[in-house]
Amino acid sequence: MPDTIISRHRPLSLLAALILAQVLLLAFQIKRENNIRLVRYWTVQTFTPVERVGTWSFSKIGGIWGGYIGLRNARTENARLQKELDQLRMRNRELESQAAEGQRLAGLLNFRTAHPEASMLAAEVIGASADPTSHTLFINRGERDHVRRNLAVITPEGVVGKIVEVFPTSSQVLLINDKESGVGALLAGTRTHGVVKGSGDPNPRMDYIVNDEKVQAGDKILTSGEDHIFPKDLPIGTVERAKPASPFQIISIEPAARLDRLEDVLVLLTQQELTPKKTEESPMPNGANPAPINTAAPSAPHH
Amino acid sequence: MSTMLSTGVRSESNIEVHKYYNGAVPLVCFLALVLQAFLHKYGRFAELVDLPLLVTIYFGVSRRNPVSGMFLGATIGIVQDALSHDNPIGLYGIAKTCVGYVSSSVGARIDTEHPVSRFGLIFVLFHFHQVVLAVTERVLLARTMPMFTLRLLLDSVVTAGIGVVLFALLDRLRSRH
Repeated sequence: MPDTIISRHRPLSLLAALILAQVLLLAFQIKRENNIRLVRYWTVQTFTPVERVGTWSFSKIGGIWGGYIGLRNARTENARLQKELDQLRMRNRELESQAAEGQRLAGLLNFRTAHPEASMLAAEVIGASADPTSHTLFINRGERDHVRRNLAVITPEGVVGKIVEVFPTSSQVLLINDKESGVGALLAGTRTHGVVKGSGDPNPRMDYIVNDEKVQAGDKILTSGEDHIFPKDLPIGTVERAKPASPFQIISIEPAARLDRLEDVLVLLTQQELTPKKTEESPMPNGANPAPINTAAPSAPHH
Repeated sequence: MSTMLSTGVRSESNIEVHKYYNGAVPLVCFLALVLQAFLHKYGRFAELVDLPLLVTIYFGVSRRNPVSGMFLGATIGIVQDALSHDNPIGLYGIAKTCVGYVSSSVGARIDTEHPVSRFGLIFVLFHFHQVVLAVTERVLLARTMPMFTLRLLLDSVVTAGIGVVLFALLDRLRSRH
């Protein structure tokens, strides 16, 4: 069909071709603004919009595709990061736990260093009583570690309780706030003797203090050693509040040891009195190497 | 070119196609261009008449073949551009290509032997040539060139008058065979 049209209008086609040829000839000679030849100007003007449209299209398509791929990658990466975050959180909790354990062990070590004369055994709390009214717990030291009944269990902060049951590899500890517990005690300020008993509440009480005795909140309470279980002058706690009653005052005690958060304790293998020394958080005296405290596995007692 | 322009017997519409002596067409074209360039030295008189345009029109209407007419116009125009000092090649070429095509087409349809019709034809084609020139200059060169002025009107009248005389002289170059 095009051939037919061209042959039918041959002169006109030739005219158009001849004029076009001369226009092109002119375009190669004429220079426009900025000394650019017209043919180049036309070529650029012709191709630039096409290139612009092409670039715009590719940019849009690329953007959409990139967005789609990015969205998919973001979803996958989000899941991966979430998983990694969970792992890191777990790791963080693990490290925090290890750090806390390290602090506790450091406390035990300092205490052990401060009292080299006393035989003591580090133990880890492995369980508690299933009875909510019973304040007892289990430690990972037992008969094989030469643990016996009625041995004192303490922490560097203060008295925890005493051994009431001994098993081959574990022992049960009766806490000082248990109803069955009783500890010979005295007021540090006046040296007035009494007995610290559990009441079933988180805080134990001190009995047998007459109303005439002046007791104030914050007064320190120590072991008296009269029960032949706890060495003398171990901190039991501080007076939380005291009120007169008949026949004795009712004195509530804030325990020195954190009885509700116990993880590591010391079992005193003797009732030898501990000499109070202030060496916490300090280097070992005379470069002495203290006996290692094993909290993980049962071991031989330290004498 | 000369062979193409001096052969052929009849056009498509059976109007008589004139033949010229061999070499007459290129020689006349050459002389028209030379004379135009020569007369240009004498200033304004040369600007009143466009001899290459007259030759293009004459051979276009005489040959009555649009193809040969446009090629003759293109050749004359390009040479005219080449002889000018500042015109880009193709400026007059386009205008005279169009004039050659139109004059050949017109010559194949109407009688162009009468002096009056020749005068009118030259007058119209002069302005057509000027319009094509102006459009080309405006579009391609971005230069303003008038399409019609009183001066151009005077030029067209003078050129048409001279063209009638020139055409009569050129008629003598026709071959009798």
